[in-house]
Amino acid sequence: MTEVLLEPFRLPYMQRALLEVLLLGALAGVVGVFVVLRRLAFVSDALTHTIFPGVVIAHLLDRSLLLGALAFGVLTAVLLTGIGANRRVGADAALAILLTSFFSVGVVLVSRTRTYTADLTVFLFGRVLAVDRADLLQTLALALVVLGTLWALRKELVLRAFDPEGAAAMGYRTAALDLVLNLLIALVVVAAVKAVGTVLVVALIIVPAAAARLLADRVATTTALACALGALGGWLGLAASYEVSVDHGIRLASGATIVVVLVALFGLAAAAAPLRRRVGGGGVPR
Amino acid sequence: MSELLGTFSDGFARRSLLEAVMVGGLCGVVGVHVLLRRLPFFTMALGHATFPGVVLAALLGVNLFLGATLFGAVVVLVVALLGARERVDETSAIGVTLSGAFALGVLLLSAQAGFSRDLAAFLVGSIVTVQHGDLVTTAVAGAAVLGVLAVLHKELVFGAFDRGGLAALGYPVLALDVTLLLLVEVTLVTSIPAVGTILAVALIVAPAAAARLWTERLGATMAVAAAIGVASGVVGLAISQHWRVAAGAAIVLVAATLFTVSLLVAPRHGLLARRRVSRPGAPARVGVPTAGR
Amino acid sequence: MAAEPPAPAATPVLELRHVAVAYDRVPAVEAVDGVVAAGQSVALIGPNGAGKSTLIRAVLGLVPVVSGSVTVLGRPPQAARRQVAYVPQADTLDAEFPVSALQAVLMGRYPRVGFVRRPGAADRQAAESALAAVGLAERASARFGTLSGGQRQRVLLARAIAQEPRLLLLDEPFTGVDALSQELLLTALRRLRGAGAAVVMATHDLGLAHLACDEVCLLNRHQIGFGPIGTTLTPERLRATYGGQALELRGDGVIVARP
Repeated sequence: MTEVLLEPFRLPYMQRALLEVLLLGALAGVVGVFVVLRRLAFVSDALTHTIFPGVVIAHLLDRSLLLGALAFGVLTAVLLTGIGANRRVGADAALAILLTSFFSVGVVLVSRTRTYTADLTVFLFGRVLAVDRADLLQTLALALVVLGTLWALRKELVLRAFDPEGAAAMGYRTAALDLVLNLLIALVVVAAVKAVGTVLVVALIIVPAAAARLLADRVATTTALACALGALGGWLGLAASYEVSVDHGIRLASGATIVVVLVALFGLAAAAAPLRRRVGGGGVPR
Repeated sequence: MSELLGTFSDGFARRSLLEAVMVGGLCGVVGVHVLLRRLPFFTMALGHATFPGVVLAALLGVNLFLGATLFGAVVVLVVALLGARERVDETSAIGVTLSGAFALGVLLLSAQAGFSRDLAAFLVGSIVTVQHGDLVTTAVAGAAVLGVLAVLHKELVFGAFDRGGLAALGYPVLALDVTLLLLVEVTLVTSIPAVGTILAVALIVAPAAAARLWTERLGATMAVAAAIGVASGVVGLAISQHWRVAAGAAIVLVAATLFTVSLLVAPRHGLLARRRVSRPGAPARVGVPTAGR
Repeated sequence: MAAEPPAPAATPVLELRHVAVAYDRVPAVEAVDGVVAAGQSVALIGPNGAGKSTLIRAVLGLVPVVSGSVTVLGRPPQAARRQVAYVPQADTLDAEFPVSALQAVLMGRYPRVGFVRRPGAADRQAAESALAAVGLAERASARFGTLSGGQRQRVLLARAIAQEPRLLLLDEPFTGVDALSQELLLTALRRLRGAGAAVVMATHDLGLAHLACDEVCLLNRHQIGFGPIGTTLTPERLRATYGGQALELRGDGVIVARP
């Protein structure tokens, strides 16, 4: 069994891929805790639609994918913070149209290239096995920025998630805190683009955190658990997709395998949660 | 203009045109109901959920509608059950379920050759490869959906405005709700050849949203929505042939543009019209006499 | 951190001068006039939609005032936030949120601690004694959601106490709260008033208003009365406040049928 888990990583490109998914899994897991506590799954999904054209444009202009994704990510974060403050009924339709339009722009641009369908696949689902040293360093840098900011603002972000009214009453500008979090989510999506693509990164953000939430009673333990589950899912998924592809001849997309493993881990957590309560881990009875 | 229409001289182009017209019209009408019941996001989620169902059905050789609808139903069930649990809020339940379903679809597709091409077709459409058989399917499915909508029109509209009232009158509201969701699902699957699962929500929502800005009567809204849907299909297709870009995305962008234009210029409901009517800076009403201490 | 110079003893804690508050140009509450001194406590009474919560928001500086003025300790609301604490209704909070009772109370100290830094020993001390003041010292490490409704409300009051406020604002603090918790809330409030804090609470419960407050402000989108509870809470004023929802009972008093 350990053979399966370690053997694939003798190859340098697999080692880089592993480092990348461990980093991403941990990073996305931590940010995911705030996304789940604030019920912002929708924002993450929106970002994947709007960052996509940024990535495509950067690719066509032969510029850094990071910059393209970053530009559109920041724009989206600002827009969503503004709209989120003002949710009205008609806004839902407008938002859905806006998101799909951004996405369509990306598709239109990609379709002009000769390698249309292959490029589309890469942008949407990533190609973790093609990660190089520069990508790793980029991911590391982004991770440091995001985690650093989260660390600095952890108290205030938790307070805002727990009691937005109370936070405002204490003088905190909840719109500013929301904007910061949206920007951090955008940065995580940007970091994950090359490895797992814009569509699957939502899973990396939400699933480990949602699983951790089921099992932990404090923010600190939830974060640690989400971080661990994210990294674990990355490792197992990568190993599994390699194993099945190499030994059984069935090509399994690595990014998608990682997500399926994460969802399986979530399933285990969901099954374990009620048992945990019965054993008395859920809190002191009244 | 004639140059644009001239691009439709080939057989395959005419098939694409017919498909675009039918899908555009169908989506427009269904979209009105989607807006009435505030389902744009649900439709978006349903589109994502439909993807693995379609992939699975295609791989197994099962009828696409059946496979997609069954899978869509399973996803909806899982989301409902998951969201009902403690510590799993609705948005996270949707997020987890959809991610899993989507990844599953990608996984299944990647396991076979021709991965990228098929993936693109399912996600963003591939209208130019539409066959005669597809046209027949679209026509039949579209007619069926429109037929059911016509028969249940009164009940569906009533249920959208006042679910409790309809239930009080003895109608099976849950069955009606589920029926509409199934109709949306069938519409989504029908739209796949034209615009794919990810973009379908735009073709369903945008024409109807645009139509709502021009008229308030329901019947007229449906007619206008259908017209805008058809126009989006035709113009989008023409743009795609002329500039050689993906057809599905072009169709969606045309629909979105028509919506944006409507948002700005529609009389009475458009943004520009509303600016002219209200006077900025009008003071709040003050001066109610105090009752004293 | 430099302490702000305390306002002179004569300065009222809260001054409302012909205040009108509006959302999007639609007036929510108008013509509110009143003064609250240190150690005093006012009940905001009125039906749903009367503007009680809006007024509280205006005092917190969260909603702009379209005419008149709100002055807290001689300053505009935004400048006085450090001295003001707010207690929301406990059932508006997510019961599954992963924080302990003590952590929830500690949140009241965050503005003092500032960004990046973590709360120190003094802050923990303040939080622990605040929890003790509401009778929940032994539940400090229980998850917030495992507490009963009344206990949660007490935790939120403890959070406010930990802020060491001069003005305390409460929104329906007794709704759905068990008798013991009510008792403990009242005791803690009395202690706060004794230490010089002013209290303003929106409440439906006329009986508890009598127990907890010495003044009352009657609101129904505009002020109907403001003054000592004994003289201001008259049947005619209550009828004016609650409209057709008040029933008179044999001239002995008034029963409010549907607050």
